Amino acid sequence: MKSVAGIHLLGFCLAVFVLSSCNKPSYRFTNTDKDAKIKTLGTVEVTARLVEIPDGAIFQRDLYDYAAILKYEVVAVHRGTLEKGTTIYVGHYDPWKPRSKAADQRVKLMGGTLREFRSGSLHHMALETSMDDHYLGGIVDKYFGKHTGPTYWAVWTNAAD
Amino acid sequence: MSITPSPRYRFASLRILRCLCLVIFSSAALAGDLSPEVAKLAGEVRGKGWIVFPARSEKGDWDLFVMRPDGSQRRNITNTPDANESYPLFSRDGSRLLYRRLARNEIIDGNRYGEQGVPVVANADGTEPRVIGGEGDLPWASWSPDGQALACLSVKEITFVDAASGKVLRTLPRHGFFQQMTWSPDGKWLSGVANSFGTAWSIARMNITTGEANAVSNVDCCTPDWFPDGTKLIFSNRPPGQKTNNGQGWTQLWSADVDGHNRQLIYGEDGRHIYGGQVSPDGRYVLFTGNPQEDGDPGESGAPMGLMRLSDAPIIGGESKELRALHPDTKSGPVLTLPTGWEPCWTFSESPASHSKP
Repeated sequence: MKSVAGIHLLGFCLAVFVLSSCNKPSYRFTNTDKDAKIKTLGTVEVTARLVEIPDGAIFQRDLYDYAAILKYEVVAVHRGTLEKGTTIYVGHYDPWKPRSKAADQRVKLMGGTLREFRSGSLHHMALETSMDDHYLGGIVDKYFGKHTGPTYWAVWTNAAD
Repeated sequence: MSITPSPRYRFASLRILRCLCLVIFSSAALAGDLSPEVAKLAGEVRGKGWIVFPARSEKGDWDLFVMRPDGSQRRNITNTPDANESYPLFSRDGSRLLYRRLARNEIIDGNRYGEQGVPVVANADGTEPRVIGGEGDLPWASWSPDGQALACLSVKEITFVDAASGKVLRTLPRHGFFQQMTWSPDGKWLSGVANSFGTAWSIARMNITTGEANAVSNVDCCTPDWFPDGTKLIFSNRPPGQKTNNGQGWTQLWSADVDGHNRQLIYGEDGRHIYGGQVSPDGRYVLFTGNPQEDGDPGESGAPMGLMRLSDAPIIGGESKELRALHPDTKSGPVLTLPTGWEPCWTFSESPASHSKP
């Protein structure tokens, strides 16, 4: 009898703990935060498919911060004047890092839920244009000389698959 | 049973060993234990002005020091235990010093040091320091040849600023320049690190009248500086394809004509990243820093600097089997080992001597 009561008491305490934990302020981004960032940052908001990751575009080297230019096909336009089906080129800072960990002293405004860049995946992005107006640093551009028009700068990148 | 130390422990042990080696190496050099060739080189440069460089003080902060080019008469000219100082640049006449002052707890970043902290101008001996802007102002500021203006580089543009009033004189699009920008001795060009030539970390020059830019060397290059006649740049370069250092290779000191031709190895050493090349005002010697760790100069405590004759180039230091195989017709010295520091700047002026004791 005693042990059954003990189990009930333990269960009650666990339930109280879980419920009270839910009310504690969280310093992680909530879904609302994520939506707010993607909907307000930058001047363009699109969902786009990452066409490919060229050889050597994404690598990790100690103390070697850089932005890689990646090629996308626009699937949906949420803000801005781009058209569905357009090919765009987007600069991502330190692309070997999860987007939530990419911001640093050089690029302070950067984030999103995307953990890893994979060819063919869909990304929901808040973009700035042009990249040169927002980024001062090394660029790895495997498309150099192969495209015209602006290169966009990814401020916020969420996974959209 | 053998005990294998953890990677972290091994790394810490290697660091301690490297530091000991560096201390022993530099102490031996400075104690007068020099080969006749190196002693001759030291004697040649002893009276040729002064070198300013950041280094850690005995209190642990980064201060600015000056010394004779042979390493003698070293003294602290800032003495600010509550702040770090970095990126010292003598005006071309050697009368003034421009540098950045950071909070003591701010780590100096090897790619951002020109935009960290506040800009300060002082007399060349460090006296009468005057803060000339706020946090991050006048980023990558570099003296004009006459010392009347500063060229600055920000994400927005290149700005030419009157050094006395701070008034913006004119602007230029930056055309991909993003760090370590320096005004040419003839005042007509800027050199810098650029991202607009297809590879990250290209060395480029820009005509300050037209804004036209050309690449000088375009694979993994940085810290460019001018030869005094303006016809060549000296810079750090990590040539691709190296097998050492886990396939990442080592950064070497190179020079090239300003149109990108006649690239030449100046100094390389497997086991040290060579940065901060600066040619003496007479174009005969070159200073550099060399650290076993990438970014080890600003991130930690620097490493002994080196000085060599350009007429002896190319020189390869240490065993450097891979590098020697690539460059068989090189010398092994002489290289004068100087005190620990990084990003040195050299003037032939005697202004930094004002408060020094012979």
